[in-house]
Amino acid sequence: MGLEERSLAQTGPRPERPHARADWKQMLGIGIVASILGVVAGLLIDWFPIAASNEAKPIDTLWDVLIIASVPVFVGVCVVVLFSVIKFRMRDGEEELDGPPIHGNTRLEVIWTAIPAILLVGLCTYAFIVLEDVEKAQANTMEVRVVGEQFAWTFFYPNPDGSGEEIAATRGELYLPVNQPIKFNLQAKDVLHDFWVPAFRMKKDAVPGMTVSYRVTPNRIGRYPIVCAELCGLGHATMRATAVVVSREDFDAWLEEQANPPEPTPAAGGGGGSGAAADGKQLFTANCASCHTLSDAGANGTTGPNLDETLPGQDAAAIRTSIAEPSVEIVDGYTNIMPNDYEQRLGAEGVDALAEYLAEVTKEG
Amino acid sequence: MTARLRAPGLTRAGLFLVLGTLFCAAIIVAVREAYGYPVFADGGIVPKAQNAILLLSLLIAPLWFLVGLGAFDYWFYWAAGKRTRPEDHSGHGATSWKDYFRVNTDHKVIGIQYVVTSFFFMLIGGLLAMLVRAELAAPGSQFVDANAFNGLFSVHASLMIFLFIIPVFAGLANYVLPLMIGAPDMAFPRLNALSFWMLPIAGVMMTASFFAPGGSFSTGWTAYAPLSTSAPIGQMFFTIGVQFAGASSIATALNFLVTIITMRAPGMSFWRMPLLVWANFSTSLLVVIATPFIAASQFFVLFDYALGFNFFRPERDGDILMYQHVFWFYSHPAVYIMMLPGFGIISEVLAVKARKPIFGYRMMAFSLLAIVLLGFTVWAHHMFVSGMQDWIRIPMMVTTAIIAVPTGIKIFSWLATLWKGVLHMDTPMLWALGFITMFTLGGISGVVLAMVPMDIYVSDTYFIVAHIHYVLYGGSLFTIYAGVYYWFPKMTGRMFDERLGKIHFWMTFVSFNATFGPMHLVGVKGMPRRVADYAEEFAAWNLFISLSSFVLGLSTLVFIYNMVASWRGGRRASANPWRALTLEWQVTSPPPVFNFDRIPTVVGGPYEYGVPGHVHGIMEPAEEARPKQAAGASSAEEGV
Amino acid sequence: MAAAAHLGSHEHEDHHHHGPPEANRSSRVDPATLGMMLFIISEIMVFGAFFTAYFFIRVVGGAEWPAEGDHLPKLIAGFNTAILVSSSFTLHYAQEAIRKDNRRGLQLGMLVTFLLGATFLFIQINEYVHVGFSPQDHAQGTIFYGLTGLHGAHVTIGLVLLLFVVIRSFRGHYSSQSHLGMEVPGIYWHFVDVMWIVVYLTVYII
Ligand code: HEA
Ligand code: HEA
Ligand code: HEC
Ligand code: CUA
Ligand SMILES: [Cu+2]
Repeated sequence: MGLEERSLAQTGPRPERPHARADWKQMLGIGIVASILGVVAGLLIDWFPIAASNEAKPIDTLWDVLIIASVPVFVGVCVVVLFSVIKFRMRDGEEELDGPPIHGNTRLEVIWTAIPAILLVGLCTYAFIVLEDVEKAQANTMEVRVVGEQFAWTFFYPNPDGSGEEIAATRGELYLPVNQPIKFNLQAKDVLHDFWVPAFRMKKDAVPGMTVSYRVTPNRIGRYPIVCAELCGLGHATMRATAVVVSREDFDAWLEEQANPPEPTPAAGGGGGSGAAADGKQLFTANCASCHTLSDAGANGTTGPNLDETLPGQDAAAIRTSIAEPSVEIVDGYTNIMPNDYEQRLGAEGVDALAEYLAEVTKEG
Repeated sequence: MTARLRAPGLTRAGLFLVLGTLFCAAIIVAVREAYGYPVFADGGIVPKAQNAILLLSLLIAPLWFLVGLGAFDYWFYWAAGKRTRPEDHSGHGATSWKDYFRVNTDHKVIGIQYVVTSFFFMLIGGLLAMLVRAELAAPGSQFVDANAFNGLFSVHASLMIFLFIIPVFAGLANYVLPLMIGAPDMAFPRLNALSFWMLPIAGVMMTASFFAPGGSFSTGWTAYAPLSTSAPIGQMFFTIGVQFAGASSIATALNFLVTIITMRAPGMSFWRMPLLVWANFSTSLLVVIATPFIAASQFFVLFDYALGFNFFRPERDGDILMYQHVFWFYSHPAVYIMMLPGFGIISEVLAVKARKPIFGYRMMAFSLLAIVLLGFTVWAHHMFVSGMQDWIRIPMMVTTAIIAVPTGIKIFSWLATLWKGVLHMDTPMLWALGFITMFTLGGISGVVLAMVPMDIYVSDTYFIVAHIHYVLYGGSLFTIYAGVYYWFPKMTGRMFDERLGKIHFWMTFVSFNATFGPMHLVGVKGMPRRVADYAEEFAAWNLFISLSSFVLGLSTLVFIYNMVASWRGGRRASANPWRALTLEWQVTSPPPVFNFDRIPTVVGGPYEYGVPGHVHGIMEPAEEARPKQAAGASSAEEGV
Repeated sequence: MAAAAHLGSHEHEDHHHHGPPEANRSSRVDPATLGMMLFIISEIMVFGAFFTAYFFIRVVGGAEWPAEGDHLPKLIAGFNTAILVSSSFTLHYAQEAIRKDNRRGLQLGMLVTFLLGATFLFIQINEYVHVGFSPQDHAQGTIFYGLTGLHGAHVTIGLVLLLFVVIRSFRGHYSSQSHLGMEVPGIYWHFVDVMWIVVYLTVYII
């Protein structure tokens, strides 16, 4: 029938295994030494990028505490495994041997339930304290509105003249006065983004339709990368900007300059030409301005090429291809991140209108 | 030819697939006519007719395919009140490789179909990961553009999760679970076959998305709205593919639950079930309760995308964060769906390979149930930086951390099982031990993530990528390797090549750590995830990671070679090469068509190694077995 | 479907020796019934997800309900509720009938149940046509159509199952000994009814 008659039964007295005499104290000793080494190694590693805010300190300390608490757990498990493998592995002649039928030990089980539980509750409590610490409101906070869109950040500052009108900074630089508590109010125009300055340690998503905020107090003058940390489409990796922390005086001067910008140069080409061109301008402002600079549309994105400079000399058909199939030809010095679905999104007429408009406003001469 | 077109099978399925697509095209054309949209020009809710046809076909044509395949034949007869075919040899067993390509109701055939299919998609997913690493080997743009890159890791993760880890566990359990509890088959064999056949549909759909206009779906495996509701049509290959994978998974879970509850052999009380059965019982509970949520979340996306609904349009009172709540209410439990069956496998392997009873059997079972319960209370730990209400974070942090307690109970009990055992250091055991250490590391990085201030900093960085792979590769995949090696003799009747198995383990273990270990470092240093391009300072580590990952890829090929070669020409396996007690080892390798000629009787616990004279199951029906019940057999009860 | 998968094997005991050995029954619960119960748990969770969306839009987001200028036909829907609930009773009547081997009663009960369900669906569709807003208008519309539509889909599935039972009852299936094949779809139908009461209360009344 092909069936084994019955299960194997194990019988007979258990032979001694002299080599397998386990000394758990010895193992504990090894474990402690290894854990100490592990913790020291963990603390010596230079984990974090530069710290430039008051919030960084408590968070970096929390990390150290987590290393001290968790490395011994990992090292402990490894030591028990290795120790067992060395001591108890099957030797020649033991092929038919079974281990002692130990089914459990209530005391041990209580211990290894209770200790991690206590440890974890302790860690949670500490983490809670840190969280309160880094999120507590500060006196005379400056609020900065941060708006994310595919694939650029724009920053809005309160006007120091108290008029309530905001001042926009559009050149991809976030100026912040040092030692000034800041509250970022994050907003998004299209999809989720995430406003993260690693040097400040804090981050949060910018969500369309709502305002999310967090606070930091920059405490070190310098330039730090701003990273979009939530997948937001093609240009997600390039959605970078720079946080510039400067002295109070420099900041005030900069803000003053932003509030009263030098007269904008008058637009180059004829803006209000044919219907298609007007249409094209609208489409351009809505879809392309975040990446491209084009004086006629008042756009000054820097992710893609400056169209004022690169387009003169190209005809509408060539421009059309650049829009509909951007990956056919990649402009030198840029990567292929321009969305390739505009034909789908805007329809063929939309792309035509854009191409005509661009050809018109960038005509040489 | 016409005969082949009429009989159920792949040929008819292909024909029906074409018919189904035409059917969808006809509907779209008719609807667009009726509403006065131009049929072949832009306009309407889905602006392009070909996109609308594609979308509808994705939903409907697979059903035609299944009908063509014959997956529903029985039910059609039943529904019409006609005579149905009885369950007999015709639907069971596999005599040639062709039998694996038709609707087969034998759980052993389905198990193998599952395992092979999911490893196939694992190779594709792995290949995509290789491309991801090739692109990331140096900063700047190497091989692919940003869109293709986003597509690569999205499809990589989706295949690995929905087409590999989840189904491969279902496949292994499909094979061994009925044997283990002494049942002749699953409770609903035809539903079982249907569950399997929905998988290739989902897998092919996700893989094929690369050919969609506008490229594959590229919003990560999380598909957050509103990015996903405004993406090119490739996104729908995910949205709809997940529905098929999800339906398959729910159906299998339901099948497991009913099988475990109603079909255990006489004497197999709940406290005598092998822990693999317990693990699949818990997992199936998770699946049945949680999976509908991802189905719903993807329906929302589909409706917003295709019909212009407003679930995620804030300007019309929609709520974007709602997507994440609904998605993670499934997808956090999903990570346990991807881990608990592995816990079961490890318990089987360790007890046998350490020749000792599982330490604390009952606590092992209870901790599984505790994880199931707690698993539903932690979803928002994926949303600490999402902008949701602040107060939710604290309770979620505490529950998340507390999950480490039942998990710790399991780890410590396994360690105690090793203690004083006679450890057979062969391939399945190596994987089991590798799992214990690597999963602990991954779990600990999870606890770090649970700490809200820490997560605020490392969320969406490579630290997360490291966590993902330590728990999913070092955790789930290591248990899968352990299980596949362990049951290989049972499933194929052949022994695998032990030397290659060891090479596979060591090569993987080293290159795995070299690949994913440094990701912790670059993550904390500030490298965000999901980027094709990164700052110069990370270049050295990324090159190292990429090179290691190629070795990791090669090590996988060693495994594949071992499996294929051993299946074809390995040494014949005896019925019970590991001297295990559980029932699946008491029948021939591979088992007879109907598993048992007569239902066995269970007289003791499954892991009583070292108990003199112990027996778990007797290959005789209850009436005859009863007088012979061995004296030491009941020790399982007091065992814990 | 899970239920259906199992039912056939009952009716062909005579072929038994070709098939697998009879499995041991380790639970008093019938597998098909248990399968249906578990499936219903899944279904409840699907509704749960839609109710979550409803909760987020209406409570968390604080959207006006119903949206400004819209009216929900509480009364007609209430009448419709009564129709659906009464179909549960006629179904119960059919079940009781076959327990006493009353075939006419079974056929009549099933047919009336089916027609009541179909009427419900018809009135619901009619309501969609006249309600005056669309799911594309605003999120309130989306979730209104979402929840009632999801329920409508379930009514449709339920009707298909009922249709099978009707066909089979006219073909002479079922007896006082063996009527699992109608009990199990019956459980589903009762679930659909109860679910509607919840939907009605949350969407129309509260
Ligand atoms: C198999 C899959 C799996 C498993 C089992 C886990 C297990 C855990 N995960 Fe993980 N997780 C993922 C897969 C998994 N995760 C994935 C895929 C993501 C990313 C999703 C995405 O965004 O794409 C993720 C993301 C993720 C996040 C979100 C991060 C972010 O996006 O910002 C968090 C945060 O809390 C988290 C926590 C945890 C915790 C606490 C556990 C715990 O269950 C771990 C418990 C285990 C142990 C702790 C080890 C053993 C225990 C002991 C030895 C006892 C003693 C220990 C201590 C006292 C510490 N995970
Ligand atoms: C079970 C799940 C699983 C598994 C097994 C893997 C396996 C691997 N993963 Fe993946 N991964 C995820 C789940 C998984 N991953 C998830 C959930 C994400 C998150 C995605 C998101 O952000 O949405 C992710 C994301 C992810 C990223 C981050 C992408 C990003 O954020 O930009 C990276 C980058 O290195 C990566 C790499 C790898 C590598 C190198 C492997 C390797 O282990 C693969 C090894 C296997 C093979 C290589 C296959 C066998 C070999 C061949 C077919 C031959 C060809 C190869 C050679 C000849 C060399 N994965
Ligand atoms: C994500 C940022 C991004 C957006 C949004 C974007 N572009 Fe571009 N664009 C680029 C980049 C980067 C390049 C250079 C690489 C290339 O040629 O593809 C480019 C190239 C171009 C070129 C070719 C320039 C040349 O010198 O030949 C044109 C024309 C153009 N874009 C027009 C548009 C229009 C019109 C839109 C809106 C409908 C648009 N872009 C939206 C990033 C963007
Ligand atoms: Cu914006 Cu990523
Ligand atoms: Cu989680």
